[in-house]
Amino acid sequence: MITFTLNGLEVQIEHGSTILEACKFYGIEIPTLCYNEGLSSYGGCRLCLVEIGEGENAKLVSSCTYPVEQGLKVRTNTKRVINARKMMIELLLSICPSSKTIQDLASKFNVRKVRFPVRHEDCILCGLCVRMCKEQMQSGAIGFVERGYKKKIMTPFNIKSDVCRLCGGCMYICPACQLRCQGPDAPTDVCNACLSLEPTCIDVYDDYQCWMGTTGDCGTCEGRPDQKKK
Amino acid sequence: MKQHRMHLLICAGTGCVAAGSFEIKKALEKEIIKRKLQDEVAVISTGCNGFCERGPTMVVQPEGIFYIGLKKEDVPLIVREHLLKGRPVKKLMYIPPIEEQPIPKLMDIGFFKHQRLIVLKNRGRLDPENIDEYIAFDGYRALEKVLAKITPEKIIKEIKESGLRGRGGAGFPTGLKWEICRNAKGDVKYVVCNADEGDPGAFMDRSVLEADPHAVIEGMIIGAKAIGAQKGYIYVRTEYPLALKRLNIAIDQAETIGLLGKDILGTGFNFSIEVVRGAGAFVSGEETSLLAAIEGKIGVPKQRPPYPVQKGLFKKPTNINNVETWANVPQIILKGAKWFSEMGTEGSKGTKIFSLVGKINNTGLVEVPMGITLKEIIYDIGGGIPKNRKFKAVQTGGPSGGCIPNNLLDLPIDYESLKNIGSMMGSGGMIVMDEDTCMIDIAKYFMNFLRDESCGKCLSCREGTQRMWEILDKITKGQGTMEDLELLEELAKAVRDASMCGLGQSAANPVLSTLRYFRDEYEAHIKYKTCPAVVCKEIISSPCQHICPIDTEAPQYIAYIARGEFKKAYNIILKDNPLLGVCSRVCHHPCELKCRAGQGGDPISIRALKRFAVEHGNGKKTKRIKKKLTGKKVAIIGSGPSGLMAAYSLAQKGYAPTIFEAEPMTGGMLRLGIPEYRLPRTVLKEDITRIINAGVVIKTNKKLGRDFTTKDLFDKDYKAIYIAIGAHKSIKLAIPNEYAKGVIPSMEFLTQLHLGKKVKVGKVVGVIGGGNSAVDAARAANRLPDVEKVIIIYRRTRTEMPAYKEEVDNAIEEGIDIQFLTTPTNVITKDDKVVGIECIRMKLGGVDKSGRRRPIPIKDSNFIIELNTLIQAISEQPDISCLEEKHEFNISGWNTFVVNHETLSTNIPGVFAGGDAIRGPSTVIQAMADGKRVAETIDKYIRGEKFEFRYEVTRPSIYVEPVKLKAEEILEVSRQESKNLSSEKRRKNFKEVDLGLDKKSAIKEAKRCLRCDLEVKKEDNKKESK
Repeated sequence: MITFTLNGLEVQIEHGSTILEACKFYGIEIPTLCYNEGLSSYGGCRLCLVEIGEGENAKLVSSCTYPVEQGLKVRTNTKRVINARKMMIELLLSICPSSKTIQDLASKFNVRKVRFPVRHEDCILCGLCVRMCKEQMQSGAIGFVERGYKKKIMTPFNIKSDVCRLCGGCMYICPACQLRCQGPDAPTDVCNACLSLEPTCIDVYDDYQCWMGTTGDCGTCEGRPDQKKK
Repeated sequence: MKQHRMHLLICAGTGCVAAGSFEIKKALEKEIIKRKLQDEVAVISTGCNGFCERGPTMVVQPEGIFYIGLKKEDVPLIVREHLLKGRPVKKLMYIPPIEEQPIPKLMDIGFFKHQRLIVLKNRGRLDPENIDEYIAFDGYRALEKVLAKITPEKIIKEIKESGLRGRGGAGFPTGLKWEICRNAKGDVKYVVCNADEGDPGAFMDRSVLEADPHAVIEGMIIGAKAIGAQKGYIYVRTEYPLALKRLNIAIDQAETIGLLGKDILGTGFNFSIEVVRGAGAFVSGEETSLLAAIEGKIGVPKQRPPYPVQKGLFKKPTNINNVETWANVPQIILKGAKWFSEMGTEGSKGTKIFSLVGKINNTGLVEVPMGITLKEIIYDIGGGIPKNRKFKAVQTGGPSGGCIPNNLLDLPIDYESLKNIGSMMGSGGMIVMDEDTCMIDIAKYFMNFLRDESCGKCLSCREGTQRMWEILDKITKGQGTMEDLELLEELAKAVRDASMCGLGQSAANPVLSTLRYFRDEYEAHIKYKTCPAVVCKEIISSPCQHICPIDTEAPQYIAYIARGEFKKAYNIILKDNPLLGVCSRVCHHPCELKCRAGQGGDPISIRALKRFAVEHGNGKKTKRIKKKLTGKKVAIIGSGPSGLMAAYSLAQKGYAPTIFEAEPMTGGMLRLGIPEYRLPRTVLKEDITRIINAGVVIKTNKKLGRDFTTKDLFDKDYKAIYIAIGAHKSIKLAIPNEYAKGVIPSMEFLTQLHLGKKVKVGKVVGVIGGGNSAVDAARAANRLPDVEKVIIIYRRTRTEMPAYKEEVDNAIEEGIDIQFLTTPTNVITKDDKVVGIECIRMKLGGVDKSGRRRPIPIKDSNFIIELNTLIQAISEQPDISCLEEKHEFNISGWNTFVVNHETLSTNIPGVFAGGDAIRGPSTVIQAMADGKRVAETIDKYIRGEKFEFRYEVTRPSIYVEPVKLKAEEILEVSRQESKNLSSEKRRKNFKEVDLGLDKKSAIKEAKRCLRCDLEVKKEDNKKESK
């Protein structure tokens, strides 16, 4: 067992746990997006930030990847954490405002405006689908390519992958395209309107290919006006 | 071994190789054989000696003669003159920027003299591809010591005591890292050398590997022995082919003689090194992603802990150090921790290599002791800023470092001090920027690099750098808002806090440091839509137009001249400038200073072209009718350029301006200060007539204070008053006897002369000062019949002289003697009349706040100049004796009026001031700009509107089709200068010196214009022309 301080309280946790696991154990809520219990930790979305250390050495780390150390001092709700987290949500919202998951995060953490020009991306590069494909489906059909602002997720060489079994695990776990929020076109605020019964995930792939194989095979996009044209 | 009389050490670092050093080596060898010197002279190619910009370089030993900028054609000359006859070739030596004498020896050159070489000790003196040479210079002796005599614990103790810290940037204590790694559990351990140097403008690691690869290898073997590793990796980027080649040769050679591999030197210690080539990702310089790259994975950082020393390469304890850190190790072992820790500051020991690049005279690689100041590096080693420009900032630590401003240059450099001021040591990139660098543009450049090079894992870094770049881009386009600035700062802090690895955590530094030290530049871009450095394309359109205080559209009239449409060119100039004749003669043309054509060659002769348009585009002179204006009355005090411009602009707005001039003649400084040989009075008269014709009334012989007061003017129903009295009072020298007879203030001398009064001057005239009024006074005095000799006395050198270059050139041509580095100390009098001046010689010392070298008196160098008249011309200030004794104006310590710089209003309602009266001695065009601006504020004031200005980005008002150039015209690069009257014909008269351009050369010159204005979008053109 490791003893450490969590928000001023001295607590104990099993050796090898991450800060996030410890927080969950002690009932402290920490928002996550790229984290899933069934997958390895990635630490890309930076929502699960907590502050560790003291004085000049205090810094923010992603709790999902940081192992608890003996005597570590963890604070989960400092101003620095909140400010950084809100900025992360604002950034997410500015690139993918139609994701209900992100809109919900925004309303929960009081992010009321987006000050960046909105982009309507389909992917937030959380990497859940990559890990799902590799770790749970034992497939590894998709992965990251490029870096920096050009980074994206695709199959090798952007052609249909031989190892893809069309399981749909990637779509199942995607926070950006699952529960697509297509309510009032209000990307700059909390939209509160997940009323649409439209199928999800369509806009993402119909331009070139569907992860399910050929576009339309799964049936979700049948009857869509833009699909009929094809 | 064969003995040679002479060694030619030719640099074969990447820079010099690119400049052709291999060919020169071949040519040298051939020439030497031709001259049968092969038994006496040896040619050796060495690693980079750091002076990369002036390459290819060569050192001739044993004398240490240093040649720069060699070409193949120079080879026979060197062989014949230097090698055969023993006469070093002067024209191939280094000439420092200020002095004009070449410096023959390497160690006498400032660039080398102030360096302290430890890591680079072998640079430029041995052949890096020959292990024997390395061994001959004490190479591998430290290894021998380590393997034979000391225990690993003792090695670590020695490194710890030396205080060596990681040279890759973070500055983690090296000895401590080794100790942790040694104590980590596991039998298999690795050492890694990080040679993935990715910063733009940094080439320290490359140079070390190229010049002295064995030092790195030796350091790694020692480290491996201390830690208990058996395998080492060197991760080098593929972009460094020469470094890779030399490294591989070095490893092969070390293996061959048993310094690497199994049972090294028979001690039973096994160690091998593998070179891994990196594909050039900046993020792979981060240790965890570098390890991932060596493992064959994508170079993406991992969460630490676990740290590499616990669980690194292939999950085994791994010790990573930078090239420079490894190269330090053999020296510390050999010479001891104490020797090493004596250099540097308390927390940072030893030396650091910097790659000194950017706007600096001596570009290259320097190794300096920690604790040296930035000023010493930039001025003593770097030789200062080229082209006499002003220093603005220095960027340390690569793309994610920070920009350090002028006032922090005295800071001793170490890890902590740089961090405290918002920058970092980084791997040692040092980019010097001058006044022509826009800090927002720089921040944008680095952010562009970082958004490209971020690995893209963390949202904060990937999206944060992208969004920061977008905001910076918006600001450089003149579309930014103050809210953007707040957002930028907030975002930058969030990116710094929220990112996982060093790249993201420091990615905000370029933004945060420029915001901290150069916020005014951000605000200039946002609020005033101006780029102070005249860089941001979308704001400035063309630099010449943007820099012009009155927004003259130089590209447009130049384009019309190129097309042969001179009348149109004339009209373009007239649109913004009623004093176009004056400006075409005496404007100090800031436009030419910023001209893009001048960046790689000679700037366009913009003022000469303007004069050409004024002279050739005016057509037939028709008699104009004087307008009569009936609007509200505005009083303008002073008929100088500022007053004239204000009156003209007000007249055009429908007001009835009246100018009150104290002297009997109009024109202010234009007439009283500027001599006729620069500005013929006919030209001035024509311009003033134009202004009178616009409806302006000028009353001469009306002096403020003597003939009227400001109160009188308000009583007479003048709605507003503009004070443009100029700066006509010369400042005293504050030396003994300066009130003697024969000592005249320059303004008094020039005024008397120009009013046609008789001025008494003696045979020998001395002028004290280095500004324009000094040169004007000297040249005017030189033209007087009785004067035989004129001497200008100035305390600094030609480079620092504030007078315009062409004026100084002309003065020297006319036979005026300029005594540089001379300060007067005492006026010598006889019967209360000046007979001479005692002076003291000066030398240039350290750099002061203005970026100029401070003159320091040389002891006992006093001497006397005999003269009959002494003119004081050090500076001028406004003559405020015209104000009432109990005036309520806010006056500065320099006797200038204190005004709101946006509205030019004084503290008294309805009274405005501008020109030299608020700035002290400034330029004609600046005074005119004040006049133009005050016309707008007075208009608003009288109408009772708010003083709000709408600033817009600069755009040309019309589109002028560019002329089609012939092939030879495109290649034409030489500047067409206007011809001058020969110095014989100028003697003892006031004929205009500058003769202007003829038609052929004017068109030729106009065709050289790069037409920067065409780069802005056409729709902007249309929008602006509405």
